Amino acid sequence: MRNKRLVNYAKYGYFFSIPFILTFCIFTLYPVIYTFVLGFTDLKGAGNTEWHWLPSVGKNLFTNFTDVLTSKTFHKAFKNTWIIWILNFIPQIGFALLFTAWFTDRRSKVKGTGLFKILFYMPNIITAASMAILFQKLFGYPVGAVNQLFNANQPYNFLINEWPIKLIVAFVQFFQWYGHTMVNLIAGVIGISPEIFEAAEIDGANRVQTFFKVTIPCIRQIMLFVLVTSLIGGLNMFDIPQLLVGAKAANGAALTTNMYIRNQAFDGSYLYNRAAAASVILFLVIVILSAIVFYILRDKDEARLKKLRKQELRAAKKGF
Amino acid sequence: MKKVIASVLSLAMVAALATGCQNGNGGETSAPSNGGSGVDPVPTDSGVEPSDTTATEKQTMTFGTGSEKINLWSFTDEIPKMVGQYVKQKPEFGEKYTVECTIIATDGGAYQTALDNALVAGGDTAPDMYAAEAAFILKYSQGDMAKFAATYKELGIDVDAKIKEADIAKYTIEVGSRGGDLVALGYQATGCAMIYNAEVAKDAFGTEDPAEIEKIVGAGSGNWDKFFEAAAKLKEKGYAAVSGSGDIWNACEKSADTAWIVNGQLNIDPKREKFLDIAKTLKDNGWSNDAAGWSEAWYADMKGEGAQKVFAFFGPAWLINYVMIGNSGGNKAGEGTFGQWRVCAPPVGFFWGGTWVLGNKDTSKKEGVAELIEWITLDSSDTGLQYLWANGSVDWDNDPNTATAKDTVASATVMAKSDGKLDFCGGQNVFPAFIAGNQYASAKAMTQYDETINGYFTDAASQYAEGNVDRDGAIEQFKTNVQDNLSF
Amino acid sequence: MANEVKLHSIKKNETALKVVIYVVSIFFSIMTLFPFVMLICNSYKSTYEVQASTLSLYSKEPLKNLAFNWKQITSKDAFHPGVGFRNSFIVATLSTVLNVYFSCLTAYAITAYEWKLREGFNAMIMAVMMIPGTVTMIGFFQMAYKIGLVNKLSALILPSIAAPMVVFFMRQYLQASLSMEIVQSARIDGAGEFRIFNQIVIPLMKPAIATQAIFAYVGSWNNLFSPMILLTDKNKKTLPVMVSLLNGDIYKKEYGAIYLGLLITVLPLIVVYAFLSKYIVEGVALGGVKS
Repeated sequence: MRNKRLVNYAKYGYFFSIPFILTFCIFTLYPVIYTFVLGFTDLKGAGNTEWHWLPSVGKNLFTNFTDVLTSKTFHKAFKNTWIIWILNFIPQIGFALLFTAWFTDRRSKVKGTGLFKILFYMPNIITAASMAILFQKLFGYPVGAVNQLFNANQPYNFLINEWPIKLIVAFVQFFQWYGHTMVNLIAGVIGISPEIFEAAEIDGANRVQTFFKVTIPCIRQIMLFVLVTSLIGGLNMFDIPQLLVGAKAANGAALTTNMYIRNQAFDGSYLYNRAAAASVILFLVIVILSAIVFYILRDKDEARLKKLRKQELRAAKKGF
Repeated sequence: MKKVIASVLSLAMVAALATGCQNGNGGETSAPSNGGSGVDPVPTDSGVEPSDTTATEKQTMTFGTGSEKINLWSFTDEIPKMVGQYVKQKPEFGEKYTVECTIIATDGGAYQTALDNALVAGGDTAPDMYAAEAAFILKYSQGDMAKFAATYKELGIDVDAKIKEADIAKYTIEVGSRGGDLVALGYQATGCAMIYNAEVAKDAFGTEDPAEIEKIVGAGSGNWDKFFEAAAKLKEKGYAAVSGSGDIWNACEKSADTAWIVNGQLNIDPKREKFLDIAKTLKDNGWSNDAAGWSEAWYADMKGEGAQKVFAFFGPAWLINYVMIGNSGGNKAGEGTFGQWRVCAPPVGFFWGGTWVLGNKDTSKKEGVAELIEWITLDSSDTGLQYLWANGSVDWDNDPNTATAKDTVASATVMAKSDGKLDFCGGQNVFPAFIAGNQYASAKAMTQYDETINGYFTDAASQYAEGNVDRDGAIEQFKTNVQDNLSF
Repeated sequence: MANEVKLHSIKKNETALKVVIYVVSIFFSIMTLFPFVMLICNSYKSTYEVQASTLSLYSKEPLKNLAFNWKQITSKDAFHPGVGFRNSFIVATLSTVLNVYFSCLTAYAITAYEWKLREGFNAMIMAVMMIPGTVTMIGFFQMAYKIGLVNKLSALILPSIAAPMVVFFMRQYLQASLSMEIVQSARIDGAGEFRIFNQIVIPLMKPAIATQAIFAYVGSWNNLFSPMILLTDKNKKTLPVMVSLLNGDIYKKEYGAIYLGLLITVLPLIVVYAFLSKYIVEGVALGGVKS
């Protein structure tokens, strides 16, 4: 009976996805295909639109890909991206979880949580450009707030040395995004039925237990979202490192993969083909890593259930 | 349920506001200037598009009322305002043409991206006339995008005679030439002088006379030897020769004899390579305050409030007009460093900045475009733009940023009949030193990749000066970066 | 007796925890205010005061400078705060509405119905989400200039119908909190599918919608690069694009005016945020939640 109903409603699945598909086809499909194709061509040079397949100009079809993969600068960019992302993500998710725990705790009588919640997201409202200026000035050299506070006699040039650059970029990234992550997590917690918490309370669970045994499992779906989107956002990191120190400072201490791609495409030689190849590589990396995250965080019960349902469905169909 | 209703209501309100905004100001519906290109794949568009009537009460960036439309693209309102001045000066032009100005900021390369796309797409909305600044002019005059530029001759300008008459600075022509054909010219001259502090000079060298100082620093010698001798003397008295090594970099870069790219290969000119040592020397000996250009410390040095008082800056007239005067800490002699500065020829000549004007080869309004370009870049008469500019009498309308600054222009003819006395420089006529700067300046060693390559090189130099890499390491790092990012 | 001690220590712990919460939260709150203070205190400085020290609060003549900066902004022929606000408002509001509504719809299609291509469609959305946007821009701008999408606000609004990341969020949210029993009972009551979605599912998703709407609004409002390239007509420019015009030449930047412009740009955003943040703060007691 249940299956029959599901089958009957299937057409709404198609119907409701039409707007997305249509919009995607109009605005995004062509650029995506174009990018993919470019990776295998010789297109470079500003304003140039004429391209040839690499084999037709006597080159290996995958030249652009091997160029990127063997480039020291790409390796550096890839490494930087990971270092900066991890340095920012660990405190980001840590504080976001902590604040979520504090601010959604039904038992604590902390006042002003509403205000804190609102304030913590606000660094995300400010544009990356303003944020970059703020931190440039804070870490200015030889005159700057931090230098004046801590070592006025021996000012240190933070923004031309590798590790200070990485740490500052990671910190700004953290500062701009922890509130965003917190808001996502809180939305997940708010979606949990209050009855679950009441039940936990009655069972005598303390707060820490409630958070780890009830809250976290219940927002697992949102955690998956946060992880995957942070990963994607992290691997595409651009604004803050670009505006704060740029791609060239300290031999590219803050050069991320996305900055590498933009440099290829727009800064200097307009190597559209290599930039496209690098994009495809980055895309594949993201897909693989996301797949791993999905796999690790998959809902085992749900998966089993789904499989079962599918079998049922198939059986039901056969029955008709 | 209440909350659902509330949120639906608020959404409705927002929607109503959106449409209200659009209808609110639409008594007259002047058609959007989108040209009748016809292709409009988005049906809902007309419903969202605001009509352009709020702008009528103020001066807009459209000049003239004529039937022939000229699209002008620029990254500031400087050239559009010049056009405004021209239309006021010569109403017939405004009766024949309408100049539509499009301004896009250079942030993140947006101006170039938009301009490139517009030039490639062509058609009615493509720019007829466009501007490019020193950082990227080579791309449009000699590089990838040069094929879209019309030669001034094609536009119908009598180039050779006019250049002679106006006596245009040589480097401006070199920058704007494609092969042997002129496609772009600038109106400013940005040849640089040495701007030094007279009190510091008096204390360290016993004289503040520009002619004497020129001898002491080896003006026009093409190298920095004498300047560094002077720097050592300055240091003894507790002064820094310059604010930071970046001040000298511009000179090293622009005075090179060979370009970064020669026959498709990276080439490091000895004069540029020398900068590695210069940066190191300055830092190790404390001959500079180690301030980066445009940083707070750099501005403080103009006020004389840095760690050590700074002897000299190197720059064109605009550095004085728009940066140093404002940052001197005063408005008249005796306040801050105002009045203490003098100008003389630099050890190494170079130019810094400037804006060039180009015409589109496909423009259908050749005559109009030519007329404007000629007036801006080649007219050396008393009604030409350059004369007005050099004497601070361009009418900038209601712009409170009073542009009465006396700027140097490309035409030496105009400069000769203009007055360059500045209170900021103790009443010195600064133009001769800048004209000399223009003559030293050269553009034969430039490529469209310079801006990018310079960035990699100056970083390598600062890493070397900071002690993070050795000299060979710095060069190696530079070569790898250019190879990997520009494929040279 | 023992009980009392325990209670006492719990209370003590409670107080300690509270202190920690307050200290940390207040520290972060102060940090948050930093960039806003920077914008405010530079908006009443002169360009040269900004250049001398961006982080100082002091200005010699704050009111005069503020007036000058305002005049600077409004007299720039390319800068019309009213027009910019209207364009920004239209773009941000409509794209936010389309973004969250259609993302909910798409997510609902994936979650609530069993259809043959469902898994494939879901995988496609995930894949689209993972495409790095940098290079695809080349193709998009090229296309936009070719087919005349330039100077159409809709070119910035309509693409937000397909927002894979928001669909992903909505799907995750629905999976956690949508119970099909409610949908079934509505069906039994004779409600159509579209009505069920609008009247039952949407209200259920309010916390999710509120958060994603904020993100979408902020993203759209602050979006700079695409509007800079797609909106070349002065009457179509959004506020951030107009602020970018204040930059001028490298040597003639009017910093005071730029900061005032940035401040003007961020204020409406704060208002919208304050309005929507209510839903994050209060939470909504949900009816039919999966338990």
